Amino acid sequence: MRSQERTMKTFLVFLEQREGVIKQASIDIWNHVQEFAALRPGVAVSGILAGPASTLQLDGLLVGTGVIFHANEEAFRLYNPRRYARLVAETMKREVATSLFFADTALSRDLAPRLSVRLQASLLSGSPFDNGMVDGSGCARSVYSGAAIASFVSERAMNIFIATARRARFATTFGSRISVVVLEPVIVTDDDLFSMVSSITMHKGMQDVAEATIIVAGGRGMGSSGGFCLLEELALLLGGAVGASRPVVDEGWRSHAEQIGQTGKTVAPELYLACAISGAPQHLAAIGSAGTVVAINRDPHAPIFDVADYGIVGDVHLVLPKLIEELQDFLQKR
Amino acid sequence: MHIAVCLCQVPDTSSVISFVEGVIDFSRVNEMMNPYDEYALEEAVSLKERFEGSVVTLFCVAPPSAREMLRKALAMGADRALLLSTTERPDPFQTALLLSRVFADYYGDALPDLVFCGKHSTDFQSAQVPLMLAELLGIESVSAIIKLEASADSIQVEREIEGGRESLTVHYPALFSVEKGLNAPRKTTVKAVMEARKKTIDLLPLTISESPYVTITSIKPLVREKTCRFMQDPKELVRLLRNEKALF
Ligand SMILES: Cc1cc2nc3c(=O)[nH]c(=O)nc-3n(C[C@H](O)[C@H](O)[C@H](O)COP(=O)(O)OP(=O)(O)OC[C@H]3O[C@@H](n4cnc5c(N)ncnc54)[C@H](O)[C@@H]3O)c2cc1C
Ligand SMILES: Nc1ncnc2c1ncn2[C@@H]1O[C@H](COP(=O)(O)O)[C@@H](O)[C@H]1O
Repeated sequence: MRSQERTMKTFLVFLEQREGVIKQASIDIWNHVQEFAALRPGVAVSGILAGPASTLQLDGLLVGTGVIFHANEEAFRLYNPRRYARLVAETMKREVATSLFFADTALSRDLAPRLSVRLQASLLSGSPFDNGMVDGSGCARSVYSGAAIASFVSERAMNIFIATARRARFATTFGSRISVVVLEPVIVTDDDLFSMVSSITMHKGMQDVAEATIIVAGGRGMGSSGGFCLLEELALLLGGAVGASRPVVDEGWRSHAEQIGQTGKTVAPELYLACAISGAPQHLAAIGSAGTVVAINRDPHAPIFDVADYGIVGDVHLVLPKLIEELQDFLQKR
Repeated sequence: MHIAVCLCQVPDTSSVISFVEGVIDFSRVNEMMNPYDEYALEEAVSLKERFEGSVVTLFCVAPPSAREMLRKALAMGADRALLLSTTERPDPFQTALLLSRVFADYYGDALPDLVFCGKHSTDFQSAQVPLMLAELLGIESVSAIIKLEASADSIQVEREIEGGRESLTVHYPALFSVEKGLNAPRKTTVKAVMEARKKTIDLLPLTISESPYVTITSIKPLVREKTCRFMQDPKELVRLLRNEKALF
């Protein structure tokens, strides 16, 4: 019994909420960690949720067995680095957790380095989710603008990971047993008033590329901002988001929030449709975790085809309208 | 106002990263200032111009060859530079630790009022050094800012979040890591380059005594494994995405 206790490991997954909605990206991470834990006796997975949110929204979405510690209070509605860092650090210590998992988001990129110092824990950020994160053998990610891949291992007993994961498709959440423990309210101190988010403005009606399961991305070959109408139509049809390469953003055809690549966002959609994008290393560096990649390009030698599952060689202005038509047709018949 | 800027070097964007017998061939790699650090530097210099009597100091942990890059940074308007020279490659935690120590040596008990860093380095993209440094210094910090308005007693900043923007109010002293788009870095003039020659670059040799938090066990060429299946008809594509990938 004793020895069993000693070998029991606890992993903590940070469940991020914004405006009360728990991010799908963190749900995906939870499910991946749980899937691993299910195969290993002696691994417990807990969650931490900061801020007011209904945990009912998680019903049927989380697999596995575990406790979610919920700081269900106003003090955590908006991101406050100090308060968040304290809450997560205290929970890690109280639960004697050895690993902490985050989805790759603006918040985790801000919070995790602080926690790394505070907890003297290693921090590995930006790798696709990998079982090596859970079994301790480390993980790999692309470096040097996608020209190389580096493997990293932790030198610490406690580890923090910021991972990207594709939507986990598990057969069923049947039999999962998740309980929620609401944490005692925190004592708000003066220094909490520092560097606190005072407001957030959301862009209306836009799905963010970093969270989308389907991305329809366009490159310079789309020709103009008007050319993106086709992509918007397609994205709407597929329930996806519009993404862009850097020249498109530099030209002002699309906003920086949509840029995919080394200087933009890293994405992990199920389907990535690259239209008139050449496939420069700086662009490819950010789509390494994408599921199915489809490329449409008039140049049969464009490097994007090297990373694509399906390709159509042709002019986007001819291929896309046909694709839209076929999809409409298909979706109607269904 | 004392403003510190942390700069690092990365391979020039036109450099080809190639491998010779399994290791990167650095003989074909030119180093340059990390592109994000240019925005950090620009912000520091433009604040210096607004707040009279400000001093902009550059800090860099790198091999001695980084002097050249620091000269260019001085020509953009910084006042002096400290090069913590090491030939080892410290991990982000060690880098932050070294920077925090040299800050303590350089600024004494006081801290710089503002510290600027890049959002991430374009070679390893860890995006960890800045906020680790802030945590070690015990100062307020915000990552990846896209807007900054400084007044005498506080700083308003904005950062991009998924699908929106966040606004924050921060007090001095504070550290910011900066995202592209914060400003448009200036071009250096011949006159500025000449003047920069007179500015000081202090070289401090270093040895790292603390162990890293993370080590790199291998760096290999990235091999892409996919074979593309070409087709002509979008109808075929829709069918395959449906039947083989069950995407919709
Ligand atoms: C430091 C640094 C950071 C960078 N960061 C990023 C980044 O974050 N994201 C990013 O995307 N890039 C980034 N880049 C730029 C990158 O190197 C490429 O220049 C860029 O990705 C190219 O974009 P593109 O494919 O849209 O344009 P192009 O390279 O110009 O390619 C256009 C493609 O469209 C095809 N085409 C043209 N017309 C048509 C048509 N009518 N029908 C079909 N196909 C057509 C062409 O065959 C070509 O393949 C970065 C570069 C540097 C140096
Ligand atoms: N060796 C270094 N010396 C000084 N500053 C650094 C160093 N490495 C990283 N930084 C700073 O931290 C930022 C982010 O780097 P990184 O955490 O490595 O992605 C850089 O843009 C620099 O501002």
